[in-house]
Amino acid sequence: MIYFLERRFALLLLLPLCMLLLAFFLWPLGVVAWASIYDGGFTPRGYATVVGSGLIRQVAVNTLSISAWATLTSLILGYAIAIHLARLPARKRTPYLVLVMLPFWTSILVKSFAFTVALGTSGIVNQLLGWISGGAWHLEMMFNRIGVIIGMTNYLLPFMVLPIMASLLSQNPSLPLAAKIMGAGPVRIFLRITLPLSLPGVAAGVLMCLTLSLGMYITPALLGGRKDMMLANLIDFYTRQTLDWNVASAIAVALLAVSGVLMLLLTRFQRDRGISHA
Amino acid sequence: MKNNERQINAVRRTVLKTGGAMIGAGMLGWPGLARSQTRSIAVTCWGGAYEQAIRSAFAEPFTKETGIGVNLINNADLTRMKVQVQGKNVSWDVFDSIGPQIMTGAREGLWENIDTSIVDTSGLQQKTGADHVGTYSYAGGIGFDPKRFPEGKHPTTFAELWDVKGFPGRRGLRSRISENLEMALLADGVAPDQLYPLDIERGFKALDRIKDSVRKWIETTPETVSLIASNEVDFTYTYLSRVLPAQRAGTSVQMSMAQTLNSLEYLAVPKHGKNTEAAMRYVAFCLRPDRQAAFCNQVEFAPNVPAAMDLIDEQARQRMPDMKSPNSIIVDDGWWGEHYDALQHRFTEWMLT
Repeated sequence: MIYFLERRFALLLLLPLCMLLLAFFLWPLGVVAWASIYDGGFTPRGYATVVGSGLIRQVAVNTLSISAWATLTSLILGYAIAIHLARLPARKRTPYLVLVMLPFWTSILVKSFAFTVALGTSGIVNQLLGWISGGAWHLEMMFNRIGVIIGMTNYLLPFMVLPIMASLLSQNPSLPLAAKIMGAGPVRIFLRITLPLSLPGVAAGVLMCLTLSLGMYITPALLGGRKDMMLANLIDFYTRQTLDWNVASAIAVALLAVSGVLMLLLTRFQRDRGISHA
Repeated sequence: MKNNERQINAVRRTVLKTGGAMIGAGMLGWPGLARSQTRSIAVTCWGGAYEQAIRSAFAEPFTKETGIGVNLINNADLTRMKVQVQGKNVSWDVFDSIGPQIMTGAREGLWENIDTSIVDTSGLQQKTGADHVGTYSYAGGIGFDPKRFPEGKHPTTFAELWDVKGFPGRRGLRSRISENLEMALLADGVAPDQLYPLDIERGFKALDRIKDSVRKWIETTPETVSLIASNEVDFTYTYLSRVLPAQRAGTSVQMSMAQTLNSLEYLAVPKHGKNTEAAMRYVAFCLRPDRQAAFCNQVEFAPNVPAAMDLIDEQARQRMPDMKSPNSIIVDDGWWGEHYDALQHRFTEWMLT
């Protein structure tokens, strides 16, 4: 009886959130799905365009590859930062956490413009490289894939650092200690204990970064070259410039489906791991 | 108990009375409002210096003359306009926008036909369609930094912009096909008066020639100036309305006036509007020569009403492109209205390969 009441109470508490999601997420999503098959009458035109257009295919491949690279760099950098943060005492961690969160508080447009100052031909990095090498070294980091990956990594890092750090902090500190007593070196401790135990955090971070980067728009447009177009740009083109909402919705639904499959695969991977460890 | 109820009723009555009185007072305060049914109209706008000029040249004088208030709505876009018209719940009475948006809207049937008994379109320099009017034009051309590229070192015409050997430097062009195709054809030797209808195949061939010299296909308009200022590109396709304010702010940037592409800004009145007549009167007001002159004196636009030219002050006339010269090309938005979608699609594919 008590259990039943608690459950009812929990449902009651969940109600506002459910209403919010229904009104501002599920309903618009339904409208998009509807627009992808209905344009003054039922039509397969939207999806036929998605499947048949070489342009959309090419841009989809771009989107997946850029997202994968940005997630990978975020993972490598983010893991290193998370380990460092997790090993600091709680009081010292706070200022560093603020630094990690900093990209959240800056407008993505402003940040992208700021990258010009850092990465450009006469930017800080290239001036430094030129000074070190006497003018011989120069890196093209703007208006190409590298610029896009750097810009996106900057945006994605907090989403990677926070879940990984949380999973590192929740590890039992006596486990590495025990391993050390048994004679394991730091590399072995990391590979056999820390890393496997942090995988749920890694999976969560990768999932978030991948989903976020699949929908990115402004950063690739400002920092990328002509070949770095993403699907979101195309959706914008069909939505705002040609008002062809049928095709725009079809691309959006296809993108959602791809993200959905990716998410499913990742959560399955994580669950399988969980079972094998149990 | 009874007493309580009476008190509550009394309070309710007072509230109703005061409220009614306040609304009444508000109506009386504006004698003009009581006469015309409309209180105010909403007009879309672009913010910044443009909004200020619209306010002082059109909106405020219009209110003074007709008693109809004008609310300027910034960040309006065609997507939301379409939703409003489709839902027959229109809150913007006049849509002020650039060619591609107005033409797409016209194709979608969003605009009411211009009421020629209110709006006199006979005197317009550039004639436009039945459901929109061109108000004034803005000039686009080659931007450069005069310190890095003094006279003779920078391209002045599109043929020179395409001449990557004669004028070496990193180019920055827009990431859309309109204007690029015109530039490519002019660069390829098409005479300005023979430009339209555009020769699409020849244009794309000419674009092939410059493709690898373009460092950045620019997405946002501010970048056409900021990338020159930060020395990331050398020559961009930019706009006078961006270059002159940047100059005044101290940036070393200049635009060649030897050859310009001039695009019209348009006004259109959406269907199912609640204030259609007032909206038409506003459109007519904006085409009056004295108002056109007042506007073009303040911002970097040229009037679409020739009679306004005589009323514009000397300083403003100096900076405008000479619209009588064949090298001041007027972009044909009507042509683009029919071709933009397919060509932008092809252009995007072209960029990815």
